[in-house]
Amino acid sequence: MNNRRHFLVKSASALTMTFIVPSLLSSNAQAKKPLDQKVTDKKSWGMHIDVDKCADGCTACVDACNEENGLTGFGRPETDSQWIRKIKIKDKTTEKITTMPMLCQHCENPPCCDVCPTGASFRRVDGIVMVNQHTCIGCRYCMMACPFKARSFVHETLSTQNTNAPRGKGCVESCNLCVNRIDHGSETTACEDACIKAGHNAITFGDLKDSNSKVRLAIESNSPRRLRDDLNLKQKVFYSNI
Amino acid sequence: MLRLLIISSLIFVCMASLQPSNAHDGNPHISPGKSKADSQEACVEPTDVMRKEHYLFLLHQRDETVVNGIRTKNHSLANCIDCHVSYDEKGKAIPINAEGQFCQDCHVKTATNITCFSCHAAEPRYPNHEKTISKDELKEISKIAKRIKDE
Repeated sequence: MNNRRHFLVKSASALTMTFIVPSLLSSNAQAKKPLDQKVTDKKSWGMHIDVDKCADGCTACVDACNEENGLTGFGRPETDSQWIRKIKIKDKTTEKITTMPMLCQHCENPPCCDVCPTGASFRRVDGIVMVNQHTCIGCRYCMMACPFKARSFVHETLSTQNTNAPRGKGCVESCNLCVNRIDHGSETTACEDACIKAGHNAITFGDLKDSNSKVRLAIESNSPRRLRDDLNLKQKVFYSNI
Repeated sequence: MLRLLIISSLIFVCMASLQPSNAHDGNPHISPGKSKADSQEACVEPTDVMRKEHYLFLLHQRDETVVNGIRTKNHSLANCIDCHVSYDEKGKAIPINAEGQFCQDCHVKTATNITCFSCHAAEPRYPNHEKTISKDELKEISKIAKRIKDE
């Protein structure tokens, strides 16, 4: 009996060593992409926004985004760039007012990429929809195609860009989920950091393919929805309690 | 006599500063004594290759970076700037596309219009987006400048 127990214990620990430990190690090893490797579809970046936690009047995420990407306005709100903005919506039946951040929804079927004549609007294999400003001709078809008004056009000559976010006159731009940070191994965006710092925890960012990531846990515990789900764009930004 | 000595030493320092540095495969650096590049033995590729083909490296790297997320430093424009940018006496970086600076100087001579800096930052990156260089780094660059002058 004792021998049998030993055998079971040993085989169980051997199994652990063979299967569970390497899987843990490999998931850790996948966490950081070496700088010289191409991005792969092993990760799929996404965001969860709990609208109930988003505070009216708080602009921490917008300010952080502006700071991170060097978005300085010209005092012209009609045309100044905004990669993330706060919107207020009112339910007509209950008159409940909600405020929430609106940004590029990083669709799996992005209409902006469908209409781009040069291929400058593209979806990276890890799910980030972005503008290749080297090939953008500034036609603004993508801005018309986007149902979420997520994109901005740079109208003015700029001189105060940040190194990590090149941007210039004549190009369209939008949220790129802090792609420079992600490529350097970070798993947070500036807006998420700011939201946590402000104590609201409304924004959760992470890898949708990792079943243990905080964004997956947030999605599973909140059963959120996509905006305008009828368009079948399969966005990677999810909203809860809306 | 003392005045003569001072003047002659000043002339000597000026002449010495015009001497090319021995860094970068024996080729003189374009603006010696002003940038971190002067402390390096060589650029990321042989200097002759860099002079003629740097734009090809940048062109290749830009697509690799934007489309494929490759962020290696060797052919990255941001790293070119970090290394080649000059600093004024107070340690503030001078935009690399300003008149007489590393990028602009050659491109004016060759009548080439560069559009990189209509979108890309022309100053180096620092943590917390500080525009000024740290005192240690300034000291390091002053040392390099002095070494090159002495050589």
